[in-house]
Amino acid sequence: MSSHLIMKGDHLGEFEELTLLAIRALGDHTYAVPIQQYVEKATGRPISVGSIYAALARLEEKRFVRSAMSEAEARRGGKSKRVYTVTPSGLRTARELHRVRERIWNAIAEGGRS
Amino acid sequence: MTRLPLPARALLWLSPVPRDARHDVQTDLLELFLVRRTERGALHAHWRLYHDLASLWSQPRSRLALLRDAGGDLKYAARLFARQPGILLLTIVGLSLGLGIATAAFSIMNVAALRGDGLVDPDRAPGVLRTTDHSTATVWKYDEFLRLREGATRMRVEAVVTDAAPARVGAAEGATAAVNVGFVSGGFFAATGRAMTLGRPLEAADEQHAGPPPVVVSFAFWTSRLNQDAAAVGRTMWIGRTPATIVGVAARGFSVPNSRLLWMPLTAYGTIYGAAPDTRAPDMVVQVFGRLLPGVTVSEAEAQLSGVAAALPRGAAADSALRARLDPRAGLGRASTSDMLTTTVLVFAVIGLVLLLACANVATVLISTAITREREMGVRAALGASRGRIVRQLVTESLALGAVAAGIGLLFAWWGIPIIGTMIEAPAGSDLTPDLNVYVFLGIVTVITGVAAGLAPAWHGRSADLVAPLKGEGASPHRIAPRRLRSALVMAQAAASVILIVTATLFVRATFSAAAIDVGFDAGGLYAVSPGLGDPFDAGRGAAIRDFWARATSELQGAPGLQAVALAELTPFDGLSRTATTSDDPPRVITFNRTHAEYFAAMGLRLLAGRTYSRAEVAAKAPVALVSQSLARAYWQGQSPLGQLVPPQIPMTPLPDMGLNGTRPVVIGVVADAITMRLHDRIAFAVYEPLDPASERFSQLLIRVAPGSTGAINQAGQRLRALDPQADVRITSVADQLQQEAGRPRMLAILSGIVGLIAIVLCVIGLYGLTASVVGQRSREMAVRSALGADVRDLLRLLMWDSLRPVVLGLALGAGAALLAGRVVAAAVFFGVSPQDPIAFAGAAVILLSAAILAVIVPTRRAAAVDAAVVLRRS
Repeated sequence: MSSHLIMKGDHLGEFEELTLLAIRALGDHTYAVPIQQYVEKATGRPISVGSIYAALARLEEKRFVRSAMSEAEARRGGKSKRVYTVTPSGLRTARELHRVRERIWNAIAEGGRS
Repeated sequence: MTRLPLPARALLWLSPVPRDARHDVQTDLLELFLVRRTERGALHAHWRLYHDLASLWSQPRSRLALLRDAGGDLKYAARLFARQPGILLLTIVGLSLGLGIATAAFSIMNVAALRGDGLVDPDRAPGVLRTTDHSTATVWKYDEFLRLREGATRMRVEAVVTDAAPARVGAAEGATAAVNVGFVSGGFFAATGRAMTLGRPLEAADEQHAGPPPVVVSFAFWTSRLNQDAAAVGRTMWIGRTPATIVGVAARGFSVPNSRLLWMPLTAYGTIYGAAPDTRAPDMVVQVFGRLLPGVTVSEAEAQLSGVAAALPRGAAADSALRARLDPRAGLGRASTSDMLTTTVLVFAVIGLVLLLACANVATVLISTAITREREMGVRAALGASRGRIVRQLVTESLALGAVAAGIGLLFAWWGIPIIGTMIEAPAGSDLTPDLNVYVFLGIVTVITGVAAGLAPAWHGRSADLVAPLKGEGASPHRIAPRRLRSALVMAQAAASVILIVTATLFVRATFSAAAIDVGFDAGGLYAVSPGLGDPFDAGRGAAIRDFWARATSELQGAPGLQAVALAELTPFDGLSRTATTSDDPPRVITFNRTHAEYFAAMGLRLLAGRTYSRAEVAAKAPVALVSQSLARAYWQGQSPLGQLVPPQIPMTPLPDMGLNGTRPVVIGVVADAITMRLHDRIAFAVYEPLDPASERFSQLLIRVAPGSTGAINQAGQRLRALDPQADVRITSVADQLQQEAGRPRMLAILSGIVGLIAIVLCVIGLYGLTASVVGQRSREMAVRSALGADVRDLLRLLMWDSLRPVVLGLALGAGAALLAGRVVAAAVFFGVSPQDPIAFAGAAVILLSAAILAVIVPTRRAAAVDAAVVLRRS
């Protein structure tokens, strides 16, 4: 358990974390297709687009990402699309999670058991 | 490509994705699909696409959990249905009837259209057409074929004779079942590309067989006639009057060309039919087809074969060089796919309709249970079950029902397929056993109907207020599923079953009255003889037949026990006829027959005026004729037709071989009316003319046996066979033919009876569901009434009338339609039974009403018997 309380709403699941990081890595204002491709490439296992949608929906519910409709784009039949951006709170939670992990890994390393 | 494949779009539409997000998802999926297709190929792209679509339904959950849910749902469903066995029974009966009919219809079509006839890769086995600048023929002369086969280097060239008459086949000589034999060249089996079930195929060496000719039997023949006996190979069977050795059993489903059951070498044709191909060589024609050698294209093979054809010797009349044209559509496979398409569409329309009815009824029943289950659903929802989870339970239930129903439906289909096969006159020995196609079809249809029937109540409860039922408020009446629609459905089914049952009853009565029709002559003791001496169009054979008849008539004339013997072009009810339509208004249909003078004595037709023609007149082809009584009455109203010419309204088309040249014959006599063609036509207008000697080869012999001399016909048969050992004399009883003709409506009676019963069952199921749901909704009202003192009988009366109303309306509607329909078909098949036959209508009404009352009374009694206090306490 880390030093401060993690509220239920703040919890970031593993897949959600991957999705969130992918959005960040893609430079924000990105949409489902590149996210799916990025996560798939990064993890090396097939990822269904449905699980990306679900993760995005959960992230948005927790306000870790926010979405907006983009400008129309010729490539997608002139229709606008929903693009996602990581919110500061999302970024903070992800960093926090990363830090927690790092601390634990360091503890493992110090114990000489890595 | 700018859109997703249609099934994917349909799945997306069905998915739980909110409507406003659907378009976005679709564009995402399309983008992913396109990227994957370019990177990894179409197959991968499709696989991932459907995987993605599936992922829209449920977030990754362990498969075990899903199964555990399904197990729980099933257990729950079992408990639920155990409490309501009546509903279980109705649902299963309804679904299994629908599935059974659909499966039976599909298997028949599967055999007829889809399974094909077993030719491997028909596109590489084109027909070889014989073309010149001015003509295209499908057949070649036999010696031309031999040269084509010799000269072909790019393809195998083989031949079949497809127009041989059916031969009588059996384990011993003198069997009666006629079977289609295919006469094929030696490489036929190798060219069709199918392996054998047993033994060996016919080979090139078989064309020069010594001793009994070899024969290959089809799988269907081996199954139905030889009981799949593994020792059948090597055995002798009789084909006509020739013993043949069975050398092999063809692959299952192989019936090329045109449903053949047996195959023999081309060279055995003469042995079987008494005309060797070699002696008939210039006349014998064969259908030629080929099998392209590997790597050879159609045009290469065509060019090479045309070279061979051009070098064929031609007669002086030859107009241009001969060429060979290869056409896969003219090969040995099925003739036309466009005909099949119409049938297929029709069959599927019928299947769809029946399934829709069954489904609608089952859904009605399930909806009625759903109303009573609102409380249960409310509890589930309150405990946190998502709507999807509840729907899944309903669908699991109906899928389980569907699976049980599919099993029963399959049994039903197994039992029904042979019956339907007989009714549609499937070729003898066709293999109607369901194959994999049928099972796959049944599986798919079961899933679809199961899901559809389960979704109906789910849809019904889609906007259900999940809290109200918990509070104990009964089903709210404003949410009643389209009750008017369901009433209309029940009404339509009632009407349909009335029509069908009335028709069935009419058919049954018609069978009895057909037996009582006066055909105008005595069929008992009358026999027709065909010589079985081969093709009468062949000059040599024709002469042999004439010679045979000459000897036969003199041999049998005055034989003990025989009253009369006469040659006639047509014998009663043998399926052939020669008719013409007069130029009167309205036109009349007249039958023509050409006979010997003794014909009238043999038939037992009374001579009413004048005389019959003499032997001398027959021999001299005199232009004289006899007419039937009705014809005389119609054209000479009361005056004597004797000495008059046959009226000009009657077309006397001179047959090419008659030599009458259109001369109008003189009427010399009038005979009694006789029905000799189809019973229902009752054509009583007839013109009889002398049978000229040249046409004797086309005629049959009529024998009248004296009453009481039973063995006379067998003796006559023996004497005829002794006349010519080559002759395959066949004697048929005219009385039997008549009986067969009269029995035709029986088949139709069975068919419409079965369908009528099914319609009643469906109607009852629909009615039960309707009543049960209405009663369920009115339970509160009933409780109040009974609390105020109404007894069970009052409540029953009240509810019954409400539920029976659509049936009574349907009954009236159906009766009206049956009257109209009856009038249309009456002339054709009812043999004088009035389409207004009161018994038929009364019968249909009684059957339907009693079934309907039963369907209404069960749920109504249950509702009326409920303790009023219990119902009222809920509120």
